[in-house]
Amino acid sequence: MGNAEPALDNLDHVPADLAASMTPPPTTTLPPTESLFGKRLRKFQRLKRGYYSFLVVVVAYVVSFFLPLIANNIALVVHYNGGYYFPLVRYHSAGAFGQAAFGDPDYRALTQQFAAAGNGNWVLMPPIPYGPDESLLDLPGTPPNPPSFAHPFGTDDRGRDVLVRLAYGFNISLTFALLVALVGNLLGISVGATLGYFGGRIDIFGQRGIEIWSSLPFLYVVIIISSVIVPIYSPGRYQLLQPSLWLLVVILAAFDWMGITYYIRGEFYREKAKDYVGAAIATGVSEPGIMFRHILPNALTPVVSFAPFEIVANISALVALDFLGFGLPAPTPSWGELIGQGMENLTKWWLVFYPLGVLFLTLLLVVFIGEAIREAFDPKEFSRLR
Amino acid sequence: MTDRTQGAPQGAPLHHVSEGGPQGPPLLQVRGLRTYFYTESGIAKAVDGVDLDIAHGEVLGLVGESGSGKSVTALSILRLIPDPPGRIVEGEILYKGRDLIKLSWEEIREIRGNEISMVFQEPMTSLNPVFTIGMQVMEVIQAHEDVSRHEAYRRAVEILKEVGIPDPEQRMKQYPHHFSGGQRQRVMIAIALVLNPSLLIADEPTTALDVTIQAQILDLMLEMKQRRAGASILLITHNLAVVAETCDRVAVMYGGKIQEIASIDVLFQSPFHPYTHGLLGSIPSVDGPKAKRLTVIPGSVPDIYRLPVGCKFVTRCPYAFEPCPDIEPPLIEDAPGHWVRCHLYPNGGKPAVPPPDHVKRGPGPVDPADRP
Repeated sequence: MGNAEPALDNLDHVPADLAASMTPPPTTTLPPTESLFGKRLRKFQRLKRGYYSFLVVVVAYVVSFFLPLIANNIALVVHYNGGYYFPLVRYHSAGAFGQAAFGDPDYRALTQQFAAAGNGNWVLMPPIPYGPDESLLDLPGTPPNPPSFAHPFGTDDRGRDVLVRLAYGFNISLTFALLVALVGNLLGISVGATLGYFGGRIDIFGQRGIEIWSSLPFLYVVIIISSVIVPIYSPGRYQLLQPSLWLLVVILAAFDWMGITYYIRGEFYREKAKDYVGAAIATGVSEPGIMFRHILPNALTPVVSFAPFEIVANISALVALDFLGFGLPAPTPSWGELIGQGMENLTKWWLVFYPLGVLFLTLLLVVFIGEAIREAFDPKEFSRLR
Repeated sequence: MTDRTQGAPQGAPLHHVSEGGPQGPPLLQVRGLRTYFYTESGIAKAVDGVDLDIAHGEVLGLVGESGSGKSVTALSILRLIPDPPGRIVEGEILYKGRDLIKLSWEEIREIRGNEISMVFQEPMTSLNPVFTIGMQVMEVIQAHEDVSRHEAYRRAVEILKEVGIPDPEQRMKQYPHHFSGGQRQRVMIAIALVLNPSLLIADEPTTALDVTIQAQILDLMLEMKQRRAGASILLITHNLAVVAETCDRVAVMYGGKIQEIASIDVLFQSPFHPYTHGLLGSIPSVDGPKAKRLTVIPGSVPDIYRLPVGCKFVTRCPYAFEPCPDIEPPLIEDAPGHWVRCHLYPNGGKPAVPPPDHVKRGPGPVDPADRP
C-alpha cells in the first residue's frame, strides 16, 4: 500500500497519448457571492404583486415631493417685461407684475391678463394650477362643488380642490408614517436590545416598566396633550410647543415602540446564546460591537417584516386623529380631515368616496408590500409538516 | 497525613517538560481554580480546585468524560463563564505574571483573541451568518491593532492562504454558508491565529467534523503551531486517539479535578490512576483478541450537585479502600513529571494496580491468531 501511493502523484510513466487525452481538472468556479439579505431581496423581487406595489408606492412618494411643481397656484416661470421670474424660489408681490392688488399675485388671472394684452409677456403654470390651501370661491354654486372637468374630484367645504389636497395629503401621511416608524423602531430596538442582551434584573424591571407604559390609554393622552398644547399665535414664543407634524410624530412614536421591543428582546435572547456570539467574545470584540454589529443584523427580521404593517397602522392613526380633530393643525392637507368633511356632508359623495378610496388604495398597496416582505423573509420555504 | 487533604501546595512546580523547552516560568499557571454554577438545583462545582501548568511551546491535552469540567476550565481561563449562573469563586490564573481573574473587562478583552485565543467545537455555528468571511477575519485584527483596512485585508488574505483556503481573495467575499464544516474550522483557526497568540485553546475542535477531516484539522493546528515559535496549545478532547497523536503532555480530569498529569508516553505506557486505566481500557484495540468485549468503567459520572466528599472517583473505582470515600487524596508527584491524585500513591513511581490488558501488553508484534 505504501508503494502504491507515490505513483498517483508521479505521472511520468503514463504514455504520452494517454496524458494528452486527459483533460486538466476544470478551474474551480466559485458560487456567486450572495448575502442572506441579497437572497431575500431577490425573492422579494420575484413576488410580483408586492414588488410592483413597492415600486408604485416608492415612485408616488418620490413624485409627491415635487408636488409644488405639479399642482400649485404659484407659477413656475413668469416672463414679464423682458425679465424672467421664478416665484417658487423667490416671493414677488402682486404689484411686481402690474396686478392692482396687495399680497400674493393671482397667477391664473395673470396668465389670462398677459394673453389678452399680447405684448410678449407670459406665465408658465404647473399642470394642475390649484394650490392645496387655496379656496376656489369663483366656482359656480356654493362649496363643496361637485366634480367637474377642471376639478375631477370636486372641492371641499371651503372650496379647495380635493385632488390636490389628497395628493399633498399622501406625502404628509407617508412622511408621518415613516417618521413614526423610524423613531418608534429606534427606541424599541434600543430598549429591546438592552433588555435581551443584559437580561436578569434589567430585563424584569424593564419589562414591567413597558407594561405600565403600554397600559396608558393612548387616545386620552393625545386628547389631554392637544388640549394643553394649542396654537398660540404670538410670533417667537413657544415655538417648540406649537401643534405640528413633529410633535405628533413624537407623541405617536412614544406610544408605538413597545410592540417591537418584545420581538427584539426575544431575538437578542436567542441570538446571544449562539456560538458565533461566544466566538466573537472570545476574539475580544467589545460589548457594543457584539450587541450592534454581531447580534443586531441577525435580529432585524421582525423589524423588516413588521415595518409595512406599522406604516399602515401609522397612516390609519393619523387619519383617525385628524378625523377626530386632534391631529395636524389646520390648514394642513390631511386625509382624516377630508374624511371628516365627508362624514358631515354625506350627500356630497365625492367627499366620501375619493378620500376613502385613496386611503384604501394606499393601505392596500402597503399591505401587499408587507405580505411580500414577510414571505421573502420566511425561512421555511416549504413546510414539511403539512 | 494532614498534608494529604490540602491538595497541591501553592506554587508547586507542576511543569516538568523542561528537556529542550525554554526555561523559566510556564506560560500559564492555573492554581486552585474553582468555578461554580449557582442553579436552582444547587451549586454545581464544575471545576473544583484545578492546578495546571502549560509550558511555552507545548501541546497539553485535557481529557475526561462529559461533565468532568474540561470545557469550564478552558472557558474560565478566558473568563467566558456566563455570569449568572457561573462564577469563578477562587483561584488564580497566572499568564505571563498577570492574574487573569483580577483583570478588568477591558484588560481581558485585550487578551482575548490577541494573546489567548480559542477554537470552538461547532464550526457550523461559530461564524456570524450575516458577514463575509473576510469581514470576520479582519474584525479580529482591527479589534486589537490600529491598522488600516488595507493592511487588515492583506493579513486576512495571508492567514486564509496559510490555513489552506484556496483562492483566498475570492473566498474573503463569501458568506459562511458557502463553506463546508472543515473549511469553516480552518477559518476559525485562521481567526484564532491571525494575531499570533501565545496560547491557543481548542475545545474539542474536531468533534463536529467528519472523520476524514479531523486529521487534517489537527495537522493544520500542529503545523500552525510549528510556525509560531513558543506558541502553546491546550487541546480539550475526550478522544484519546487525538491526544496520543498530538499532545506532549496529558491531564486527565474527573469530577472537576485533575486526576493525573503525565507526558504522553508515560501516560499510555504506565498509567497510575484507576480512572486513567478505565479510560485506556475502554479504547477499542485493533490488535486485541477478536471477540473480546470492550471493557467499560462501571457506573456513570456522579451527580454534579452531590459529588463524593473524598475521592471523586470512589463510586466507580474497583480499588477503592478505607480512606477513599472520606478523604480527598492530594495531587502528588510519584515519578518525575508524573502527578496523580489517588490514595494508592506514592508507590515508588510504579503503577499500584495492574493496567488494562492491551496497555499491559504494550505495543509489539501482534499474534496472527488474533487478527480477524
